[in-house]
Amino acid sequence: MTRRNFLRGAAAVSGLTALAASLSPLLELSDFTNVDQFMQKYYKELTPDEMAKVLKRIEGEVQRQYGIRPHVRDYKPMDGVEFVYCLNLTRCIGCRKCVHACVAENNQSRNPEIQYIRVLKLPHGSLDMDKADHNYAPAAVPEPGFFYMPVQCQQCKNPPCVKVCPVHATWQETDGITVIDYSWCIGCRYCEAACPYFARRFNFADPEIPKNRLNPNMSYLGNRPRKRGVMEKCHFCIQRTRAGRYPACVEVCPVGARKFGNILDPESEVSYILREKRIFIQLKEEMGTSPRFFYYFDV
Amino acid sequence: MIQATRNYFTFLWRCGRIAFVGDWRYYAWMGLLTAICLFGLNAYCKQLVHGLIVTGMTDEVSWGVYIANFTFLVGVAAAAVMMVIPVYIYGNEDLHDLVIFGELLAVAAIVMCLAFVTVDLGRPDRFWHLIPGVGQFNFPASMLSWDVIVLNGYLLLNVYICGYLLYCRYQKKKPSKWFYYPFVFIAIVWAVSIHTVTAFLYVGLGGRPFWNSAIVGPRFLASAFTAGPALIILALQVVRRVTASAPAGITGRATTSALAAPRPATLEDLDLLAHHLPELETVSMDDRLASLHGATVLDVATGDVLLRQRTTEDSAFFVLSGRVVVKREENGRSRITRSAGPGEQFGEVSALAGTPRVATATAEERSLVLRLPAASLRRLMQSHKMNDIVQSRMSERLMITDHGLLMLRSIVQVSMLINVFLLLNEVFKEFYSGNLHVASAKYLFIGLHGHYALVPWIWTAIGLNVIAMALLVLPLSRSLKWLNVACVLCIIGIWIEKGMGLVIPGFIPTPLGAIVDYRPSLNETLVCLGIWAFGLLLYTIFLRMAVPILQGRLSKANEGQEL
Repeated sequence: MTRRNFLRGAAAVSGLTALAASLSPLLELSDFTNVDQFMQKYYKELTPDEMAKVLKRIEGEVQRQYGIRPHVRDYKPMDGVEFVYCLNLTRCIGCRKCVHACVAENNQSRNPEIQYIRVLKLPHGSLDMDKADHNYAPAAVPEPGFFYMPVQCQQCKNPPCVKVCPVHATWQETDGITVIDYSWCIGCRYCEAACPYFARRFNFADPEIPKNRLNPNMSYLGNRPRKRGVMEKCHFCIQRTRAGRYPACVEVCPVGARKFGNILDPESEVSYILREKRIFIQLKEEMGTSPRFFYYFDV
Repeated sequence: MIQATRNYFTFLWRCGRIAFVGDWRYYAWMGLLTAICLFGLNAYCKQLVHGLIVTGMTDEVSWGVYIANFTFLVGVAAAAVMMVIPVYIYGNEDLHDLVIFGELLAVAAIVMCLAFVTVDLGRPDRFWHLIPGVGQFNFPASMLSWDVIVLNGYLLLNVYICGYLLYCRYQKKKPSKWFYYPFVFIAIVWAVSIHTVTAFLYVGLGGRPFWNSAIVGPRFLASAFTAGPALIILALQVVRRVTASAPAGITGRATTSALAAPRPATLEDLDLLAHHLPELETVSMDDRLASLHGATVLDVATGDVLLRQRTTEDSAFFVLSGRVVVKREENGRSRITRSAGPGEQFGEVSALAGTPRVATATAEERSLVLRLPAASLRRLMQSHKMNDIVQSRMSERLMITDHGLLMLRSIVQVSMLINVFLLLNEVFKEFYSGNLHVASAKYLFIGLHGHYALVPWIWTAIGLNVIAMALLVLPLSRSLKWLNVACVLCIIGIWIEKGMGLVIPGFIPTPLGAIVDYRPSLNETLVCLGIWAFGLLLYTIFLRMAVPILQGRLSKANEGQEL
């Protein structure tokens, strides 16, 4: 063996060892993906049979992870329905019960914390977001001199997030709800940059949900548990609203500030509000996003 | 066909082999880069296991240094090709070789861009959702889908152009204009497009007033044309340093023993040359006989000097056997600009132009050399084929001249002025109008509600840019030493301005007014360093292959010989 060959061999061996050492964290990589998950087709391309299989598989995965057999369904939009949300700013007291009801209903991660609703505390007379307090924590609400404005996905008619998604992983359904296919999202977070309402959330880590808190009534495009690396956001509680119930935030609101319904039905509460109220606003109307979420006042 | 494929694979094999050969400096450099790469890879593996939580990013600041580096490098890649313009449109020969180095830099930069985007993805395993026809490609609505097309297209274009030109050089064949001119022009337009599309990623977001400004596109281009050529100026000087074989002055013994007794050339000598240079066959017998007038044949030993830089005399040379190396001295160092084997020429440029020699030619081994007076060479060049081959080989020299570098300096100079001008425009618009949208700019430049995280960064960038601009404008930077200082300053300045200064403040405050500071984590920084090291590693390998090919030392003619 010549000196040169020895050096070459030594370099190759130490190089390969270093490579192996640097790749070693991958040994901990479990449950990131498997063949079925990797090969899973896009939501809109799944036949009913394939969807049934996928739902079964997801139920099995959730059971393995949380020990509870959930009921996962693919709720479809109803004909003749377009959902609209109205929020009465005069009534809201900033208690954040909606935030917590939402977290529980939609199986959001408790650690790191993911919440779809952000309640802003604003000084009287100003809608300037720069003056908003996101982390208010007084002993009791409401505080004099302030009003509260909860913000969540505005379900825009012209959603910037849908336009920018490079893989069609998010889209608007016929009932006006913008949904996300969690099994298709690549996690580029372009939608998060595009959203003017800070409505989207990213799973920076694997979500943590206490086993006994898991909501077993799940929908494919709604509250089934997500994985790390994908986006999520408010979907008007698809698993409830497409089955004729109110979203969790509407149900829990102690002051009746939240109203929800079908704008195509002239008899609905939201139709009445938008017909009769003198003032209602769409947040950042000048963006041209045309939200289906309206803020109104008792005047 | 089979032979052509085999030739091509031999070429690739030899290029691959040479990447593993070098002196101790080369091994040390490559070893260092490999080590950093592996640290980066290790950090990325941790990110894969734990998720993007190991970065400093949050829902509030959802893009960080990954996308900042991506944005900067798209600019470098775009600018590298813009240097092509003076060469192909204005026919500036000084930059000719620089173009290949520029395009190789573009290839390395694009690979780094793709790596930075990939590490930023939450689900890199789902990359196939982005493949048109296989996944769901949201084209043309999403600017990101445009970016996928333009970046990958740009990569292919540049790989093709560099590969083609280098392979032609390797075979000592004249590149056919039809095979690369159209692509060069497409690449020029494409270079503008990659950067504009990347700017549009930001500009198109109505919810982010800091980005939603028409001037971002032009600013991107201006800063790219500053940082890109600046990086190339530095890279070229490294190439010059590394290819310098020895300090000037001791190249070649002054002995010209053989030169003292040249013998007159005969028709047999021309036949010997024609054996290596078939184009000579097309020269008429009359012209051949006429060219012998004054022509001589020299039998030289290793180290004999055939012509000397800065002297003037009007003869051109053809190598009949052996090998002659041509070296150019500049700033006290000498570098190989060409290596001529049998059938190849040297000294023809200055002979035909009647100018002083720009390099010194020394026999590398015992050689037989035909010396032709300029008039004889012109006589031979009356044949079209002979004319074409001689002309095309004139450009086959690796010349990185000070003049070429100073041409690049003027590009950097003008771009820097425009860049600073556009920045001032932006600052004026933000602060004078004083509307609510100024929050991000305030956060960046003077701090907002007690948050000052980016203030030191941007003022460092402005300071560096202003000093660099001053240096570039002053005649001082005609000295390469000061030019290098200016280049380093503007690369760092623009990296900060475009990264920390453009990507991050767009997110702060959030659309709902919250201020959340961003600081890259250690893991994130390691991943970035790893990708940069990988890019440099790639570029070093490209140069390791390209330089000997351009010098003529790695060619089809010397297959089977170790370098």
